Amino acid sequence: MSQVFNRRKIKFNQKNKQQQDDKLNSNPLYPNLDQNLEVLHSLYKDCSDVVFRSFVIADQTKAQLIYIKGMSNIEEVDSNVLTPLMQKADQNSINPKVLIEQRLSVAEVTRIESFDACIDQLSIGNPILLLEGDQQGFALGLSKWEKRAVEEPTGELVVRGPREGFIESAEVNTSLLRRKIKSPQLKMKTLKVGRYTQTTIMITYIEDLSDETLIEEISQRIKRIDIDGILESGYIEELIQDNSYSPFPQVLVTERPDTAVSNLLEGRVVIIVDGTPFVLVAPTTFYSLFQSGEDYYHHFMIATATRWLRFLFLFISLLLPSLYIAIITYHQEMVPTTLLLTMADSREAVPFPALVEALIMEITFEGLREAGLRLPKQVGAAVSIVGALVIGQAAVDAGLVSDHMVMVVALTGIASFTIPRYNIAIPFRMLRFPIMLLAGTFGLVGIMMGLLAILTHMSTLRSFGVPYLSPMAPMKGRDMKDTLMRAPLWKLNTRPHLTGEYNKYRQDSDQKPSPDKGSEGE
Amino acid sequence: MRCMKVIGLIGIILFLLTGCWDRKETNDLWIVTGVGLDQPKDGEVEVTVEIPSPSGNEGGGTGGEGNQAGGNETILQTGKGVSIPKAIEDLETKLPREILWSHTEAIVINKELAETGIREELDFFIRHPEPRLRSYVFISEGSAKEIMALLPPMERSSSEVLIELAKSEVLMKVTLFDLLEMLKGESGASILPMIDKLPPEEGKQPLETIAYINRSAILKQGRMIGTINDRLTRGVLWFRNEIKESTVTVKPEEADGLISMNLMKGRTNLIPKIDGNQLKMTVKVETVDDVIQNKTKWDLKKMKKHKMLEKELAQKIEMRLTDTLEMVQKEMEVDILDFAEEFRRKHPDKWKGIKADWKEIFPTVKVIFDIEASVLRTGQGNVP
Repeated sequence: MSQVFNRRKIKFNQKNKQQQDDKLNSNPLYPNLDQNLEVLHSLYKDCSDVVFRSFVIADQTKAQLIYIKGMSNIEEVDSNVLTPLMQKADQNSINPKVLIEQRLSVAEVTRIESFDACIDQLSIGNPILLLEGDQQGFALGLSKWEKRAVEEPTGELVVRGPREGFIESAEVNTSLLRRKIKSPQLKMKTLKVGRYTQTTIMITYIEDLSDETLIEEISQRIKRIDIDGILESGYIEELIQDNSYSPFPQVLVTERPDTAVSNLLEGRVVIIVDGTPFVLVAPTTFYSLFQSGEDYYHHFMIATATRWLRFLFLFISLLLPSLYIAIITYHQEMVPTTLLLTMADSREAVPFPALVEALIMEITFEGLREAGLRLPKQVGAAVSIVGALVIGQAAVDAGLVSDHMVMVVALTGIASFTIPRYNIAIPFRMLRFPIMLLAGTFGLVGIMMGLLAILTHMSTLRSFGVPYLSPMAPMKGRDMKDTLMRAPLWKLNTRPHLTGEYNKYRQDSDQKPSPDKGSEGE
Repeated sequence: MRCMKVIGLIGIILFLLTGCWDRKETNDLWIVTGVGLDQPKDGEVEVTVEIPSPSGNEGGGTGGEGNQAGGNETILQTGKGVSIPKAIEDLETKLPREILWSHTEAIVINKELAETGIREELDFFIRHPEPRLRSYVFISEGSAKEIMALLPPMERSSSEVLIELAKSEVLMKVTLFDLLEMLKGESGASILPMIDKLPPEEGKQPLETIAYINRSAILKQGRMIGTINDRLTRGVLWFRNEIKESTVTVKPEEADGLISMNLMKGRTNLIPKIDGNQLKMTVKVETVDDVIQNKTKWDLKKMKKHKMLEKELAQKIEMRLTDTLEMVQKEMEVDILDFAEEFRRKHPDKWKGIKADWKEIFPTVKVIFDIEASVLRTGQGNVP
């Protein structure tokens, strides 16, 4: 099996190499316009969205304008390219290149010398201008296609904080970052990935803050990718993460520019993928997945309190059904007598063991959640009514489950929504089920076994060389100020340590406001 | 891949294992909240268990209804045998479900059984892993079964009434653990709350009443030898430094009425002293009280009256303690005041010689009282 796999891999690599070689000896344009057109026509055969427009520059030189419908700004092409160029020349036999320099009122004009460059420019929406008797063409920076406006990200809502979110266009996304970080030290490296899609991927970092080896490692991993297409940053995430079999996300995903910027300022690397509003942040740790942008905009006390609340509800979302099962089937002595009696009362008519009861309800709830996500908005209300009935009193009246189980499931459901990042809530939602089985089989001992297994697994994880559970394991005292608690901003003097050498101090120390400061003016 | 296979395998095994081992669904359990021990005839024990009935089945199918107001639905079942395990075996044949002992919070022992000795019988509750050492132990005047059968109008079951009464700490509160300590202690004496049936109100069913704690049973070497009334019980509580609730009413000689005071804080120190052959015990009592009712014309804010009141209070407490001592030390000759432990702690060497003859020595111990009573809050108001 593995031999076959290896052989296939070798074949793959050979093919790859060939492709790369082709690219290097990129075929240059011919001096003859008709010859060039012939090649382009054959390349874009049956592409009805590619427009070839031939015209004559100043009644003298034959020229061809090529663009893709819907990707270029036609009005500007009309007014700034065609109109000035088609005017009659003042003198006879003027060099068309000079004419272009004089008359073309387009900001971005690049010279292209090969057919590959031609295709590249066309596919990002830039019209191409080819001239008779010229071996170089012009790519005009007039791309314009339909894109969404910058809106509030729906996945990460905040009460206080900027209301802008990334959109599908990588250019707009980089501009959002640049608007927040004015320093030229914000660097962006562009890569193209995907055999057919040629998706733009930008590795964004701040020079001097990010470890150079880290940037090198990330770009190496991205360059290694060779697949047909990249449609979302999830593709990249799955292809570059350290441990593929782990249910835990090893890359942070965000839609918010402010979150991305704060991560950049901590020395992390942001990966922007064209075509999706979700950018990746690497490396990441378990605790940073529990930080919400809002933690830093509110008072540090409430931010700390909400963090604790999140951790509490994390445990509830992972363990509550299991604890219920374990206690009700194995450890009845742990329940206060009065509560046990009411529990026994409500379970009296239920025909299933507690484990089956819990599984029925939890699976129903997960199903309802999934249905609610995918349904068109018009029928959404119907589902929530039916869902409320299914999880609610009807299930109890039908004798399928007990009252307490409904309560447990509802609380678990709520708990998994309190976690600020969707992707870290998923593993806990999933792991709930094996732990429920363990609880139904071994009671509390089983729950502890499950927890230990999860903890062991988590402590083996690394995200681009950073231990997943740091700064807890390994313990780094200085970085603890922003994990379980959020220290006041004037205390957050050092950057969290990721790997290797790092730029330690991020602000001047001793900035706590007090009366004797700020009195310099007097 | 291998890892995934192993996980998959474990998953399948877990599914197969589900439902094995010591899984106990609550539907298959009788949750015992109270136990009564009786002695129908010599050499036989009758165990009565009180089980709050799960109402799920009786509701007539339609959930939500069938809510028996008050919820005092309990099931009683008894088993007989030569010993408690035998009796429980007999009991289990009559119950369709498994018994869960871990919520037993009240153990009621019949007086006749207590008179023959409870030490051996309680061994079962201590050895068995399920019953709690925190459950309360009582001795009943009549049959324990009858106490268990009561249908209290307020609480869920008769045992719950007993638990609440014990928790209020007006009279004795003894848990199984305390009892165990007393039985194993140096003095070999133990004291337990004694309960009796409150006569039902007129027009009510004979069972619609509660049991209440009205005196205390005194046990010597695990055998009940007598009782003391509530007043003396409070005296014992003073000696044992367990006093929590006490109301003292005094009538000062010069005053024209009564003054009632409520205990705020009471602390007792026993200071043993061995003087040659004479054993002495200083009982040092510190107490702080509040005035709760003043029926006299006294202005308690006046220092003189205040001092007189404090003196009166100290005298009253001393009187109670003397009476208790008279009964316990002189008449019953049982060391439930725990003097033995104090002597052992203070003079561990000499205690070895005293221990064997403690029964004879205890009544001769000279007790000196040192009572310091203060009245903290007299209130602003004066006689209306």
